Amino acid sequence: MKGLHGLIFAYDKYPALRELAEHRSPASVPFGGRYRIIDFMLSNLVNAGVFDVGVILHGNYQSLLDHLGSGKDWDLSRIHGGLRLLPPFGTVQHRDDSTFRGKMDALYGVRSYLENIRQDHVVMTDSDLIINIPLQQVYEAHMASGADITCVCTAAPGGAVEESTYFELDQDGWITDTIFGIRTPRQYRSLDIFILSKQLLLDVVEECGGHDHYSFRNAVLQNMAGQLKIRAYVWEGYSAQIRSLAEYYDRSMELLDPAIRRELFPKDRPIYTKELNVSSTYVDPDGGCTNSLVADGCTVEGTVENSILFRGVSVAKGAHVKDCILMQNASVGRESVLHHIIADKNVKVAERRTLIGHAKYPMAIAKNSEI
Amino acid sequence: MKKECIAMLLAGGQGSRLYVLTGNVAKPAVPFGGKYRIIDFPLSNCTNAGIDTVGVLTQYKPLELNSYIGSGQPWDLDRANGGVHILPPYMVEGDKGSWYKGTANAIYQNIGFVDMYDPEYVVILSGDHIYKMNYMKMVQSHKNAGAACTISVLEVPWDEASRFGIMNVDGEDNIVEFQEKPKQPKSNLASMGIYVFSWQKLRQYLIEDESDPNSSNDFGKNIIPKMLAAGEKMLAYRFEGYWKDVGTLESLWDANMDMLSRGELDLLESSWPIYSRIPSAPPAFMGKTAKVEHSVMTQGCDVSGSVFNSVLSDNVVVEEGADVQYSVLMPGVTVKRGAVVKYAILGENVQIGAGATVGGDPMDYDPNLWGISVVGPGGVIADGETVAPNTMLNRCHEEVHR
Repeated sequence: MKGLHGLIFAYDKYPALRELAEHRSPASVPFGGRYRIIDFMLSNLVNAGVFDVGVILHGNYQSLLDHLGSGKDWDLSRIHGGLRLLPPFGTVQHRDDSTFRGKMDALYGVRSYLENIRQDHVVMTDSDLIINIPLQQVYEAHMASGADITCVCTAAPGGAVEESTYFELDQDGWITDTIFGIRTPRQYRSLDIFILSKQLLLDVVEECGGHDHYSFRNAVLQNMAGQLKIRAYVWEGYSAQIRSLAEYYDRSMELLDPAIRRELFPKDRPIYTKELNVSSTYVDPDGGCTNSLVADGCTVEGTVENSILFRGVSVAKGAHVKDCILMQNASVGRESVLHHIIADKNVKVAERRTLIGHAKYPMAIAKNSEI
Repeated sequence: MKKECIAMLLAGGQGSRLYVLTGNVAKPAVPFGGKYRIIDFPLSNCTNAGIDTVGVLTQYKPLELNSYIGSGQPWDLDRANGGVHILPPYMVEGDKGSWYKGTANAIYQNIGFVDMYDPEYVVILSGDHIYKMNYMKMVQSHKNAGAACTISVLEVPWDEASRFGIMNVDGEDNIVEFQEKPKQPKSNLASMGIYVFSWQKLRQYLIEDESDPNSSNDFGKNIIPKMLAAGEKMLAYRFEGYWKDVGTLESLWDANMDMLSRGELDLLESSWPIYSRIPSAPPAFMGKTAKVEHSVMTQGCDVSGSVFNSVLSDNVVVEEGADVQYSVLMPGVTVKRGAVVKYAILGENVQIGAGATVGGDPMDYDPNLWGISVVGPGGVIADGETVAPNTMLNRCHEEVHR
């Protein structure tokens, strides 16, 4: 049938996320006060009418499974299709390294799933991307252009240069070269969203599997550039790829900018997440809260400035929280001072503690720590 | 399939004493406490108590209520066997059928629904109370006493007792007399409008009552007195804790303020959660110029002005220089730059123009003239306009008198 099928690669590991990805895959790292990173891409798919979505997992995915559940919070718990979680199947050959070597490896591992895709086109994305993009428009552009593969990219600066993929474009928007692992950024950075037909996907999976080629970038975008028409879709809106702690901190703090929030959270394309039943947030007469994003269920009795509080955070009287990200159910004791701290879920900071990080090197405190 | 106990929730009343707030919705769908609607309280109480089958009797403007309840999933009431069911009045053979004539008639018309579950006990609930209560404890007392009917009661201050339906009880809390709003109350045990009945008993009384042409088919007026007169065992169940009937504008405002003070009605307390259907919106944002004190807010809010002692529901915007005090702002309200809102209830999506003034501080007014100001859902107050205390405007900006 006509339409798009969603595939999200949620197996990547980014050691540079340090404590944040110690107990979870980067896809399920909390972001923006009440979301996980993968919520953005799942919501983009659902908002574009894509209700068949496969999520490819590999290792450390307990937290992601907890978060996604049946998919009902994204309206993806459906009789036909809906959310399918794809841990490695038995077909992938055993190797010592702990994850897939690349997208083609991952796709080869779920080949039987791919064969049963109902739609004639597939959109493949990573799960480290913070973006609110109307994928329907990308799909329409793909269909209108006659391209074999459409790659979404941005001209905005950002991203970790050596980890990014860059494209060279001709004047008509066709990709003439794909480059990665370089030190000087090029103009168009890949956002790693690709649209191609199901048939082409099956063909390249077969071809690459047979040759033990594991990288989509290398084996398809580079090596097949001669045979395939590969087109760029230049996204002019906001995007962020979260692959390191520093990037996590900077991109989180950007959310305090109303213009960026307007781009990420337009009313007609909401970002869905797993709902928790918590009460409203309460700000005490002794508390104060400025330039901050505060999710529900928080109790603010101290002072909070330039910070992001996730659901259920408490800041006790006399405490001062500045330039911090406090995740779900973190608590800060009386008269403690926190600057430039990323406190993971359930972190308890006792009374009269002083924890100071720096904007250039925010301090992350691992989940469940007590200080 | 048989259930030991099911609940029937009376949600069909117009809620006329909420005036403009219920112009387009049934009272149980009125927003409360920033994240909730009134009906979340009885529905969550059912779920927390382990009652998984709830009939919701609707009649007046049910569309918003129906879509809010949906499949019942936010309250865990989307069940394969049981769950939440919306029960509007319906036609029967021979072009019969009628609107629900009274609370008892509403249950009478749904005897077929209750019989499908063949329950031992039926809990009758109203859709206009704010409280946390374990109904199964009440059912247990009912069982232990072998009662035909158990009515939950609350000790109210003696000087307020004449506003309530009062139960006079013997030493074992058996109800011996029921007085509706007595001038000289003999007891201060007020009915909370929550009943447990042994279903077969109730079924029989409902059928008898229906054949009585002089009956107004109401639990309080007809069924309870008839059961008492017949000598049925009627038990008073003493409830302790927060309970408020939010059927009037003042009591709705009061209950919101009670929630703020986090005394008896502590919604942050997690052992008895109140569930609600949650809209998708980013976390609340408090801007650089925001001053928020002793207030609650929820997702989608964007506050740059000052908010004092107020309840902000989802997607409320308070612009820089605006001042909101002692008010309840329902979802989607915008208070523009420099506007002042004091002691007011603003319905859903109300827009308060820049520099406008709504309501006022009781200290500044003659107590006989002062009161809560109310703007009905969708109302628009122009820039610089003044809405005096004790004034109520509907969505068309017409004044409505209480």
